[in-house]
This record gives sequence, structure tokens and C-alpha cells, in this order.
Amino acid sequence: MSSLIKPTGVKAHERFKGVYWVSFEDGSEKLATINLTPGRRVYGEQLVQWEGNEYRIWNPFRSKLAAAIMNGLKVMPIGEGTRVLYLGAASGTTVSHVSDIVGPGGLVYSVEFSPRVFREFMEKIIDQGRRNVIPILADARYPEQYLSIVKTVDVAYIDVAQPFQAKILADNADVYVRGNGYVMLVIKAMSIDVTKEPSETFKREIDHLKERGYEILDMVHLEPYDTAHAIVVARKSR
Amino acid sequence: MSTAYVVLDTLGIVALSENGDVIDKVIYSGDVDSIAEKLNKLEVGQPVDELINLVNKLKSAGFVRVVIENKELARNLSNVMSGIEIRSELPSKPGLMYRENFGSRYVREVFGMDEGQYMARVYEITVAQTRHKLKQVAEKRDLFIAQAISSVDDIDKILNLISSRVREWYGLHFPELDDLVKDHRDYMTLVSELGHRRNFTVENITKLGISQDRARRIYESSVKSVGAEMADWDLEPIRAYARIYLQLYNIRNQLTQYIDEAMSEVAPNIKELVGPLLGARLIMLGGGLMRLALLPASTIQVLGAEKALFRALRTGSKPPKHGIIFQYPEIFRSPRWQRGKIARALAAKLAIAAKADAFTGNFIAPRLKEELLKRIQEIKTLYAKPPARKPEVKAKAKPQGAPEKKGGRKPRHK
Ligand SMILES: C[S@@+](CC[C@H](N)C(=O)[O-])C[C@H]1O[C@@H](n2cnc3c(N)ncnc32)[C@H](O)[C@@H]1O
Repeated sequence: MSSLIKPTGVKAHERFKGVYWVSFEDGSEKLATINLTPGRRVYGEQLVQWEGNEYRIWNPFRSKLAAAIMNGLKVMPIGEGTRVLYLGAASGTTVSHVSDIVGPGGLVYSVEFSPRVFREFMEKIIDQGRRNVIPILADARYPEQYLSIVKTVDVAYIDVAQPFQAKILADNADVYVRGNGYVMLVIKAMSIDVTKEPSETFKREIDHLKERGYEILDMVHLEPYDTAHAIVVARKSR
Repeated sequence: MSTAYVVLDTLGIVALSENGDVIDKVIYSGDVDSIAEKLNKLEVGQPVDELINLVNKLKSAGFVRVVIENKELARNLSNVMSGIEIRSELPSKPGLMYRENFGSRYVREVFGMDEGQYMARVYEITVAQTRHKLKQVAEKRDLFIAQAISSVDDIDKILNLISSRVREWYGLHFPELDDLVKDHRDYMTLVSELGHRRNFTVENITKLGISQDRARRIYESSVKSVGAEMADWDLEPIRAYARIYLQLYNIRNQLTQYIDEAMSEVAPNIKELVGPLLGARLIMLGGGLMRLALLPASTIQVLGAEKALFRALRTGSKPPKHGIIFQYPEIFRSPRWQRGKIARALAAKLAIAAKADAFTGNFIAPRLKEELLKRIQEIKTLYAKPPARKPEVKAKAKPQGAPEKKGGRKPRHK
């Protein structure tokens, strides 16, 4: 499935350190990160060798963060050395790229509550040797459950596909995000309706963040990669 | 001034003053697994000895109040402590300070390590902790799986009974259908949906998902059928019985789907090696994953063939070469003289897979599978031809192609 079309170059993303554009001979350009565990794939993604580095193509149809970047996300608080609290890690698709971006000097505390998907996470992320990822099998609604493990982070990211995510996010951020740190929220943005009105949930979640003292810095819809979601980046004013 | 703030850490428990100075600490001793177990307890609010001891020390030192961030833990701790007030507050100010300044201050002060050393330790412990939790979830579930697969076997028996009965009963009315529709599910669908053979029009039959060609043939024989006439009143109980078949069939599908998912959680290595259903049968026959994992490969090889095994022990005849693992395609599709060797190789890998599932939670099946397939290839080349038979064996040998009686059940509903 891969390497039929050859890469012709790699350039750094214009704004975000640790994110790259790989160009191909057919003229296409794809998002990528440098593979922290060379030779290993996480979700069947394409691997590209270029000037001594191995890049993993980052599929915006599979990862909402990639979709947000494709759609012109302006504020991206995850970079080299960042410490991230990632809520809703699932089987690790996005976590793996975040782990690439933050590199050996960063850290990704990855919280997931479904044992079934977390087993897969352990196989794909931990058994493959990503040492900057700390696995936490726990319910993100109860941040006190991982007090023994998590220290202060720069960014809390949530994608748990549940209503009241903003509350879960803010509750976690109160305990774990440093002063002036960031939060990122993957949120159901559209009603299924074609008029594309932001849904009730969307308004409620944004309002909740504001009530909890967050300033909304950026907001990106994920179409056409994902028809119903947006990513919101906010920062506590403290 | 006499309040102490207790903060949990992966490597121990720390008591801080209101302004973040370290008052006291306990560092967990013991190996990674025992620490992981402590963290799991604390997480659900169970006080561990280290915590109780630390709070006792604080009490002796004159502290009248302890603040803990985990509410459940505070409550349970106050039930076992007296003479000191225990409160919860999330986050506490010293807790925030501890986490925020951990790398710049506390890691050295409390643990005497640099952050790299500390993180390596945290990594080890949290990985162990997570595996421990995954195993716990899985542990109880292996017995559910055993029940589910037994239910599948029950259902298969019932399905066979019902389909024979319906074929015989409905055959009185439309005997030609029995040969025309071999698939039980199609047969039951036709009977329950259409009833009387005059309803077997080409249109009606194709609507139920049968090809135009076959529908035409069925229609033609329905017109010429030699079967007895039946009133709708006579047909109704047959149709109801056929409906039960279809409902049971759906339940069977739900069960196998449940088994498939549960096996990913409980025994991913076994599942990867032999598939979810055969894997589940092995767990059932072994009496649970733990017990299966403790069995030697030679026993796993004949699980499900106990009758034949005991007969062999009693009479001195040849012991069975395979039990339930006969269902593994590479065994039953191979020539007879290769089967025992393949069964032995498979059983050896299964023994390892079961141990990995029960004890470590590591996913090693791809390697096992690769080695197994290599070994099977080897067997197939080394023993491509049937062995030359010794004269006395020849006398007893069954004719080629005769059905085998090894105690292994044939795969069904593939
Ligand atoms: C949409 S998926 C996340 C996909 C992932 N973020 C990615 O991009 O690769 C949502 C995940 O959140 C998990 N989840 C839902 N509620 C949760 C909770 N309260 N705590 C932890 N995880 C939760 C679900 O089990 C599921 O795996």
C-alpha cells in the first residue's frame, strides 16, 4: 500500500516544531512526525526515509489533531519537550504522534478507561518501546485516581467522546496543568444537520471552559476529515 | 501551623508543610510489582501501611490535622485513625507546589535522584501497574468465556436437532426442498417466511436472498411436488419451530462475537494463535486460563480427548495424538501421518501463549505464530510421504480416508 509513490522532500512545518511536510513525486504533501521508534508502525501508517530520519505519515482521517493542523490550527501548544496529559488515549493513534513530537525530553501521560482498547495501546505503544509515554488505565472523570503518577504538565488534551468533556478537562487541569498552561478539547461541533449550526453541546462545552476561567485561543473545524468535530485550544488566565 | 499535607508519589508518600517544606516521607520498598499493587490500592482509596505509619508519625510529632487530596482515601483513613483530623482537598496548595516544582526541587530532595532516573522508575512501575490491572479485569472473565463457548456448543446441538426435525416434518409437505436447499439457515428462512409450497414463487424466493437460478429450480419442483397437502393450520407449528432456529442462530452469532472480543482481553496470545473459538474451548477444557497456563504441552495436546486417553491407558492401545486442537485447520487439513507432529508443535506454542496471557500480559503471539508456521512447513517437507508401514501395523490400519476417531470434534459453522 505504501512506497509506490516516492517521497521527494521533507520540510519542517512553518509554525510547529516537530511537525513536518513530506512531499511526494505526484505533487502531494503529507503531514508527518519523526519516528521515535524507527522501523515500527502504530496503525499501519506509511514510513518514509529521508536524509537519515524516518518519518511517520500522520493521517488526518485517523487522527483529529492532524486534521486540525491540516485545517490551519494556529495555536499548537504541543512541541519538543512538552509534557502532555492525554485523556482518552484509545489504542494510541494520536498519542503516538504526540510522543514523536515531544520527543525523548517530553512526556505523554496517557489516560484511557477501556481495558479492551488499552490492551491494544500497550501492544502498540509500550511494547514498541515508546519510553516517553506513561500508560494510565483509569477514568478521566476522577483525576484523583492518578495523583501518585502525574506531575505538572504543560498541556491537557481531551478526546473522550462524552458530553461534559469540558468539565472533565477543567477538573484535570485544576490539578495537573501548570499556571499559564494550555488545554485542548476535541469536541462535537456540528449538529448532523446540513445547516451546520454549532450544536447545543458545542456551546455548552465552550461556555463551561469560559466559566472555568479559560480564554479561547483557537478553534478549528475538522471537515472534511471528520464531519462532526472541532478542536478548541484554550489557556487559563491566571 | 500544625497541619500536614500528604502527597502521593509513584515511589512513596511525602508529608509537606503548608508552604511546601518536606516534613517527612516514606519511600516504598519492595519490587516493582509490589509497589504497583500499593498504587492500585491507593487509587481506589484503600490506605496502605506506609500511609498509616506516616500519619501515625505525624500525629506523634504533634500534628493535629492531615490533608489528603484523594477524598475516598481521606475518608477510609479517618475510619482507621483516631486522635488526628483527616481532611481532603483537591488540589491542595502544597500538592500543586509539589507537582509543579518536582523536577527542580523535590525529586532530589525527597528521592535523591535526578529526573531521568526517577522517570525510568516511574515508567517501569506504571507499566507493571497497568498490566496488573489488565490482568485483573481479564481474570474473572475467562470463566465467562468458558460458559459462553459451552453455550455455543449447546446451541449447535439444538440447531442440529431442530433442523433435522423441521426438514423431516416439512418434508412431508414438500420433500424435494430437502435436496435443493442444503444450507440450514436458508431452509429455515424459506419455511418460516413462506409456509405453504404454493407461496414458493420465484419472486418470493429471491426476496429471501436466494439466486434467481436456484429460485427457479425450487419453484419448479414446488409445482410438481409429490408431498402431502397441508393446511395453514398444520404448517403453523412448523414455521414457529423454524423461527426458533433462526432466533437461536442469531444468539449464536452474538455469543461468538462476545467471545471474540472477550478473548482479545483475556487471552490475546491464544486468540491470535488459534482463533477465538478454539481458544475459548481450550480455556473451557482447561478449567480457566490460569489452570490452562499451568498444564504441560503434552496435556494441552490431548485436551478434549480424555476418553480416548483413558482408554489408551487402560488397554495399552495407542494414545490419542490430538484432542480439541484437531479443529486447527493446519491439523485437520493435513495428511494423517503429519497430524500428530503438527499437534505437538501447536500444543507447545499454546502452552507458551497461555503462560504469557495468564502471567505477563505480553503480546508475543506474532513470534509464536511465525515459529509455528515455520515448523509446520518443516514437517510438511520432512514427512511429505506417508511412512512405510510395519507389517503388524498394516494389519490393524484403517483404509485410507476412513473417518478418524480421535475424540477431537469437527469444526462447525465455519
Ligand atoms: C474517540 S476515542 C479517542 C481517540 C484518540 N484520542 C485518538 O485520536 O487516537 C475516545 C476514547 O475515550 C475513552 N473514554 C471515554 N470516556 C472516558 C473516561 N471517562 N476516561 C477515560 N477514557 C475515556 C474511550 O474508551 C475511547 O477509547
